[in-house]
Order: sequence, then C-alpha cells, then structure tokens
Amino acid sequence: MFRIALKNILGHKARLVLTSLAVILGTAFLAGTSVFSATLDRTFDNLFQDVFKNIDGYVRSAEVVEGDFGLQERTRIPIEYVDKVRAVPGVADVSPDIQAFARIIAKDGKPLGSEGNGPPTFGSVAEEFKGALWTIVDGAFPKGANQVALDEASAQNGGYVVGDTVKVVAQAGSRDFTLVGIASYGDVRSPGGATFALFDADTAAEFLGKPGFIDAILVVGDGTRSDTELAGDIDAIFDPTARVETLTGAEITKETQDDIGQALSFFDLLLNTFSAIALGVGSFVIYNVFSISAAQRQRENALLRAIGASRKQISRSMLIESVVVGVVGSLAGLIGGVGISVGLTGLLEALGIDTPNSGLVVPSSTVVTTLVVGVLVTVASAFLPARRAGRVPPLAAMRATALETTGPGRVRTRSGLGLIGVGLAVVGAVIAGASNSWLGVGILGVFAGTIVLGPVLARPMALFLGRPAAAMRGVTGTMARQNAARNPKRTARTASPVLIGVALVTAVSALATSIKGQINELFTDQFKGDYAISTTILGFGGLSPSLADDINTIDGVSSATGIGTILVKIGDKGRNLTVISPSTFDANYDIGLVGIDAKTLDSNGILLSEKWSRNNDKPVGSTVTVTLADGTERTLTVRGLYTKDDAAVRGWRGVGSRVVSREMFAGANLQSFDFGIYVSVSEGADRAKVRAALQAVLDDQGQGKLLSKTEYIDEQAGEVNQLLGLIYGLLSLSVIIAVVGIIITLLLSVFERQREIGLLRAVGMTKSQVRTTVRWESVITSLLGAVTGIILGIGLGWTIVFALRDQGLTSFQLPAGATVLIMVMSFVVGVAAAVYPGWRATRVDVLDALVIT
Amino acid sequence: MTPRTTSTVAGRTRGATKIFGQRDAVVRALDDVSVEFRAGEFTAIMGPSGSGKSTLMHCIAGLDDLTSGTAEIDGIDLSGLKDKDLTELRRGKIGFIFQSFNLVPTLTAEENIRLPLLLGNEDGDEAWIQRVIDTVNLRNRLTHRPSELSGGQQQRVAIGRALASRPHIIFADEPTGNLDSTTGTEILKFMRRAVDELGQTIVMVTHDPVAASYADRIIFLADGKVAGEMVEPDPGKVLDRMKTLGD
Ligand SMILES: Nc1ncnc2c1ncn2[C@@H]1O[C@H](COP(=O)(O)OP(=O)(O)OP(=O)(O)O)[C@@H](O)[C@H]1O
Ligand SMILES: [Mg+2]
Repeated sequence: MFRIALKNILGHKARLVLTSLAVILGTAFLAGTSVFSATLDRTFDNLFQDVFKNIDGYVRSAEVVEGDFGLQERTRIPIEYVDKVRAVPGVADVSPDIQAFARIIAKDGKPLGSEGNGPPTFGSVAEEFKGALWTIVDGAFPKGANQVALDEASAQNGGYVVGDTVKVVAQAGSRDFTLVGIASYGDVRSPGGATFALFDADTAAEFLGKPGFIDAILVVGDGTRSDTELAGDIDAIFDPTARVETLTGAEITKETQDDIGQALSFFDLLLNTFSAIALGVGSFVIYNVFSISAAQRQRENALLRAIGASRKQISRSMLIESVVVGVVGSLAGLIGGVGISVGLTGLLEALGIDTPNSGLVVPSSTVVTTLVVGVLVTVASAFLPARRAGRVPPLAAMRATALETTGPGRVRTRSGLGLIGVGLAVVGAVIAGASNSWLGVGILGVFAGTIVLGPVLARPMALFLGRPAAAMRGVTGTMARQNAARNPKRTARTASPVLIGVALVTAVSALATSIKGQINELFTDQFKGDYAISTTILGFGGLSPSLADDINTIDGVSSATGIGTILVKIGDKGRNLTVISPSTFDANYDIGLVGIDAKTLDSNGILLSEKWSRNNDKPVGSTVTVTLADGTERTLTVRGLYTKDDAAVRGWRGVGSRVVSREMFAGANLQSFDFGIYVSVSEGADRAKVRAALQAVLDDQGQGKLLSKTEYIDEQAGEVNQLLGLIYGLLSLSVIIAVVGIIITLLLSVFERQREIGLLRAVGMTKSQVRTTVRWESVITSLLGAVTGIILGIGLGWTIVFALRDQGLTSFQLPAGATVLIMVMSFVVGVAAAVYPGWRATRVDVLDALVIT
Repeated sequence: MTPRTTSTVAGRTRGATKIFGQRDAVVRALDDVSVEFRAGEFTAIMGPSGSGKSTLMHCIAGLDDLTSGTAEIDGIDLSGLKDKDLTELRRGKIGFIFQSFNLVPTLTAEENIRLPLLLGNEDGDEAWIQRVIDTVNLRNRLTHRPSELSGGQQQRVAIGRALASRPHIIFADEPTGNLDSTTGTEILKFMRRAVDELGQTIVMVTHDPVAASYADRIIFLADGKVAGEMVEPDPGKVLDRMKTLGD
C-alpha cells in the first residue's frame, strides 16, 4: 500500500503542490512569528548583555508602583547616595543613572521618534565612568546645565553636529542646550530605536525629574570580591528604612532582559493568536483539498477495492499520502516562515528600529513545533476524507460519474441547528445575567454550528447569491451559479475560511465603531473649550505640566487647563489618578460633578466617579489612602462624585474614575505629565489670531499638537484606527489563506470538469466566456462566505460590546462602512482568485477533453 | 472574411494531411484526403479503427488543425482562423453530437438545447426551436437535468442542440455507439428526419453498417486515405465492403 500511496503522490504532482500549498501557508506564519520573536528576544538579550557587561552592581530604591501594561514607576534615590556607595571598599567606580522622558526636537522643528506607539524617547545621564554604557564617538561628555550629548542615530536623524543648539522637551519644560558630544550605546547607534538626550547627573536630575534625585547608581567593582559580596556590602551601609536594594550585574542584566521579554510578550501573544487563527483557517483548506481529491479518486479507489484491496488499505494509503504532504508542506512552511521573519525584521528597520544584528535565530523548538503541528494538522485534516475513501463501494467503479454529489444528511442539519441553538441559549443566558466567561462557549457553539450547517446552507445560498450573475451574464452566469451550488459540501468548505476571516474582521470593526461612537459622544459631551492641545505620547511622558501655564499667558485665551495622570498605589494595586488644575477645569471640561465645583478640590481631596465610589464603598466624606511613586503616603478625603465615568475608553484619554488636584503631589519626587490641554478663547477675541499665537508657543517649545474641538474629537476616535490597522493586518493573513483555498478548489474543480469545459468549447463557448463562468463561481463562493461571516461577525461584535458593558461601553453601533467594504472586497477577492483557475480552464484542450473516456 | 460561395457544398477538404507525433513516432492519421459533404445530405464516414475518421471530423469541424491541405466550412477556409473566429464558427455554423458526455450537467434539457444560442447571446428562431423540440420529442422533458434523462433521451437532447442554431453542418462521432440497438435506431431515425424534413446537412462517423445504411452516401477511409464511396447503401453491401477494408 505504501508503494501505491507513493505512486499516487508522484502521479499527481499538481495535486501535491496544491495540497502542500495549504500546509505551507498554515505553518509559515507559525514558524515566521516564532523565528521573529526568538530573533528579537536574542537581539535584546545580547544588547543588554553588552550594555551591562562592565557593571557589577546596581543600586536603587526597593519601592515601586506597577501600573497596567507593564508600566511602572520606581521611587528615586537622593544623589548623595552616589558618594556613599563610592566609599564602599571594593567599589572601583560609580555613576548616577536616570532614565526619564525627554523629547529631542530636530533641526527642522519636528520632534524625533515616532508619535505614539514607537520606541520611547529618553533623557539620561552620560558621565565619564569605568563601566560606561555610553561611549563618546565625537566630542565630549556633557558637563553643566547647558550641555547635551545625543545618541548617534538621533544626532543624524535630527541633522545635528557637535556645536549645534538642540531643543529638548522634558518634564521641566522645553529648553535649549549646546550639543557637545555624540555617543553610541554598546555597539549600536541607538538601542532599539529609542532616542537619547544625555546630560550630566545634576542637569539630568533637575531637567528630567527632581533636582537632587536619581533613578539608580551603577557600580564597577575593583575585583577584590564577588558581585554578590559587593552587593551585600553596599546594602549594609544603608539603613533598612531607606528602602535601598543592590542588584548584581547579572541580576540587573537578567531583570532588564525579562522586562523586555515582558514588554514583547503582549506582542508575542498577539502574533501567536493570529498564527493560530491562520493555522485553523489553513486546516480547513487542507481538509477541503483532501476531500476533493478523495472524491476525484473515487473510481480509482473503487477499482482497487474491486480487485481486492481492503478498506483499511485504501484509507491507509491516503493517510500515508497526507503524512508525506504534511512533512513536505511543513518543511517548505518552515523555510517560508524564515522568509516572513526576515520580512518582519525588515519592517522594524524600515520603522527606524535599529537592532544590533545578532543574526537570524531559528530555535530547534520552532523546527520541531512547525513540523509536528504541520504534520498533525495535515493528517488530522486528511483523516475523515481517508475514512470516507475507504468506505467507497467497489461498485462505484462501474458508475459513469462518481463525484461528491451526495446531499447533506439530516444528521448534519440537526447537529448544526443543535449547536447553534445551544450557542444562542448560552449567549442568551449571559444576557440574562450569567457570567461573561460563558460567552466564549456560546460563540463557539454558534460558529461550529454554522460551519456544520454550511453544506446545508450552501446550495440555497449559492443559488440565491448567484441570481444576479445569472440575470446579468446569461448562460455563463447560470452555469457559474449552478457550479457553485453543485457540490454544496465543497462550496461550504471553501467558503468557511472566508467566513471565519470575515466574521473576525466584522466583529473587530463593530467593536471599533462602537468605541469610536462612544468616544465621539463622550468628548462632545464633556469638552467645553474651543481648542485642544494633544500629544500622542501615552504612558511614558507627555506634555510638560508647565505648558498649560504658558498657554494661559496668551492674549485672548480666557482659560486653559491641563489634564494629566500619575501612577499611585491604592492598596497593593497600581492605579492611575487623573490630575487636574481645579481653578481652570470647570470652564473647559464637564464631567458631571454632582453638587460640587471642581474649584473647591483641594490638595487633600479626591473626586470619584459614582460607579467607582459605589463599587469600592467610598462615599463622599470617606478617605482613600494612596502611595505615591516616591514612597510617601497621602490620605485623601472624597469631596464629591461625578457621573460621567468613561473607564472603557480610558485608554483613549477619558477622565477615568479618580480625579485629584495637581496640588496633591506638589513637591513630591515623581513623574507627571499632561496628556491634553483644553483651551477656551475669550469672548470677542480674534480666533485666528489666538490660534496662531497658540501654535507659535507650541512651535517654540517643540511639543503638543493644536486641534480645534472637532479635530480633537476626530483624533481621539481616530486612535482606535491604529489598533484596528494592526488587527486587520494580522487578520489579512487568514484572508490570504482563504483566497488560496478558493484558488485551489477552483483549480481542482476545473480539472474535474475538463470534459465539460471541452464540450462547451466545442459547441462554441469562447475563452472569455469560460473565464467568466469560473469568475462568477468564485465570486459567488466568496460572497457566500462573506455574507455568512458578516452576519456572524455582527452577532459576535454585539456580544463583545455587550460583554464590555461593565467597562462602560454602552452602545453598540453597526459597522456599516466596514460591512460595505467587506462585501466589495470579497467581490474583488472572488474575481482575483478566479484569475489563474480561469486561465487554466481556457487552456483545457478541447480534443483531449473529449477523447478522455 | 472569406467571401461566401454559393455552392451546394457544405464542407470539404482538399489534400488534408494530419501528422501526429515527431521523428520516429510519426503517425499519418490523414494522408491527402479530399472529400466533399453536400448540403442537405446525410453522409456517413466508415473505416477500420485508427483509419482517421475522428481525426478527419475534428479537422473539418475546426477542433484541430491540419498539417497540410485545407478544410472549408461553407466556403470559409479554417486554416486562417484564430481561436475566437473558430469558436464563433463552431457556435454558428456547426453542430456536434458526440458518442457520450454530450451535455452540460448543470443545465436543463432546454438550456442544453439552446446552449449555442445562449452562448452567442442570440434568441434564434423561436418557431424553429419549438419545431426541433417536437422533432426530437422532448417537450415533456425540458426542465430535466441530464442526470435525470436516459441515454437515448440525452442523445436526443444533443441532436436538438445540434439542430437548434440551424447550423450549416452537423458532425456526429459514433452518436449511437453507447446505446442499445433499439434506442440507437430511434436516434438514427431522428437524424434521418432532420435531413429529410428540416433539410439539415449531417456527417456521421460510425462503425455500424446498420447505422451507416441510414445515410445517403458513405465515404470509406483506410490508413488515413479515402478508400471509396457508396451511394444508397444497405447494411449487407456495407458489411461486405468493410470486410475488404480489413476491419
Ligand atoms: N492526439 C494524437 N496523438 C497521436 N496520435 C493520434 C492522436 N489522435 C489520433 N492519433 C492516431 O491517428 C490515427 C487515427 O486516429 P482516429 O482517432 O482518427 O481514428 P478513428 O478512425 O477515429 O478510430 P476509431 O474507430 O478507433 O475511433 C490513429 O492511428 C491514432 O492512433
Ligand atoms: Mg474515432
């Protein structure tokens, strides 16, 4: 039987190529993302290995506040500790270290580094030091309050040479420095695409954070004792109440590497999720190809059965074939995956992320996983078709045509409807109050049911969707419509990957549309001013708090208020507090304060959203204790409540659940930036002039983006699009696989219908009519998947929005634009997928086709 | 466009030669064949297996090209035509009936009959089509698909299709080869009627002396050459003649 299997494979090379293609696509992304993550991990590991190569100890505060998304803020330590550590026996050299937000303004006035989601922009310390992280490649180390050094990449991108004046924006505001040096980090020009403005320790402390405080002390030992002993000795000189900890060089290296790993893990998770989806979609295609080829071989198999082959032998022969296809496809997928990861790395470089080249890392685990997963998925996909092939009655050999013509059975209808019913019931139960975690089960039920039901639905739906084609295209349209409907199982299996891709895209669009709608409502409702100054920097850094004060001095501005955020601990949890300036807040922003004026918010008070107050049992008059990032505690009294809680869209700069005054942490040693400044123009002032004056201040300081009220609202909503873009990008891979699935099915169908095509050509069908027929069949199949997918996707989107109701997402909005776009796209996809099979169909030799017996 | 001649010749070949294969594996399937098919006549082509019957038919019907010599339909020389013109010619001027697999399985009997017209986006002569449907006796089977028809009915649909567009000439390659003799006879009678009543020109390839005896004239082929002709055939005479050709 093995010989027959091999013969089968070699005898049908085209089929082998097509089946393998499905496996390749499924596994390539899996391998690609895994190689990419491994390469990225290794790259950063090597980088920090290099950077901390000469560091034996790292002294810092043990006090840290950890927020969402891996954000954290560690308490700073006094700069005096530097000399204390220097005096410890065994210490050869020390250097203060600060890493804080700073933005370099390029010569052309534009800030360096990408806005928003790019790599961070740092301000840091560079001093003469034995274990120096920074090596000066041109000029000298910065010294004094007016000097700065830049990393090589930033100097180049900013158009700066030593001697130039460089504008830098940081927490303390915007300031000009003289560029005295250009530095490299380890052996890269700029680590991971981040930008660095470098100062001496005192300047860095004053400009970036708080005068007299630094983030950490880097230590180089003299070699007389081990790093661990040295760390112990350093720890010993500090009083335990100082909350200082010393890490060895190895520990800080490991921690930094782990932090990066953590930061990348979200990205990894995303890539893995989407490669799993791609693989799932791919397995549909593999299953489909095996089913079709089993059907096409039915007569051949029946003949084998008639001359004495057992069921088992027939099935086994097909399974052996699937193993071979699995191995060949996975190997090719692995190679393709390496290609994909090279592409991804290239993409990073194109985005300006300069990574030290440690070469491509292809972990053996990737090789094993790809092969095992690829082969398993292939064999599993081939299992049912193989069993079916074994069951073919020997008599089938005598029948003239033996195609997959059997209609869907009643069992299928029942189980499909059953699954959908159960799924809907579960979703219904959640709506009625059951836990959200059941939603997944419900959704899965509906999806599985729909796919099981596919072959039942395919015929009527294909006939329905094909009606316009038949009406418009005459007999070619009629044939296309009938072709799409003639093998309902095949059509359903071909449309399923499209269905899955489209359902996911639609659901994501529905979610995004709903969020955008809500953001729109929210800001229209809350923002009372005329202009907004925004920044796309989120999380790390933002607008200098002093900017709002500068804006307030402009003629024609009646009031400007900055809104920012700080990270604190409430209990043991890191939480963000929204920071406002009480005196100017009410004039520009309305959060629905209940019976209280924001002006009365004092430094010991806090305002809470009604919901948070209720959920955490903090009524007006009760107290909330928060720990600031510098380790100090504040006990705040709840002064009032507000109604407009918008936690769900907090990521998009709502005001959140807790509001404090800027005064609350005045003088504390911590970071705080504004994410927006809201401006009202005085009655009767010349708006154009005011706008120009505002712009002039922003240009001068090199920070912030001036927007009118409507522009601002659009922009806030538009930020959702960035995330959307990423998700669409990743989902497009599944769509590509779905398209390839259509192409493969069409090719196999064309192959199967050679005689028919030959006959049609003989009685006068032109080549272009042949192509038209294939094209419309493809379009009908693709639309079939799209329509079902859109229906499911809207349901899924609605369910997700419903599940997020507690997060404040209250209204579902139909993604009308996206739906239309998807329909158009699936039409285009149908047309595109038919190009090659259509061409192949025209190549059918009329005589050959007629002579085949 | 080649000017249309007003001859009574529906199709002809002159010095038609067809060579298959290359170098040592050459087969001379047609060797200098010059034949004429007269309008309104039912011509049969007979000959031993491999004598070139099908090849002759394919070449004159524009499905294959000659190595040398010419083939004409209705005065149009086929050798100069591009694929698109050939397709149009087949659709408009030629009808086909094959031994099997004659119909498009996804179309109904009526759609199959009208297929050449539908492909050409033409309405055709409705009265004629109705007459054809009656001639092949399919009125009560029009909405059926091929899989729901018997072999004989399927061949009748094929005849109907061949007639529907009023082609200049109909080619049939062993149209009764797959049928039992009763059904075969029925089909042959339909073809005969098409010639007699509708004035159709038919060229039929066959092995069967009985089938051939329905024709007005028989052209014999052997080894790719014309080996004679017989007018007003009857099965006995044909059988004798075939024996001399060494079938
Ligand atoms: N495509 C081809 N390639 C090579 N040789 C061919 C091809 N088609 C036909 N031949 C050869 O040409 C010769 C004539 O073939 P043709 O099919 O015309 O015979 P026929 O008279 O129709 O035979 P039959 O009665 O068996 O159908 C045969 O020797 C055949 O082997
Ligand atoms: Mg023949």
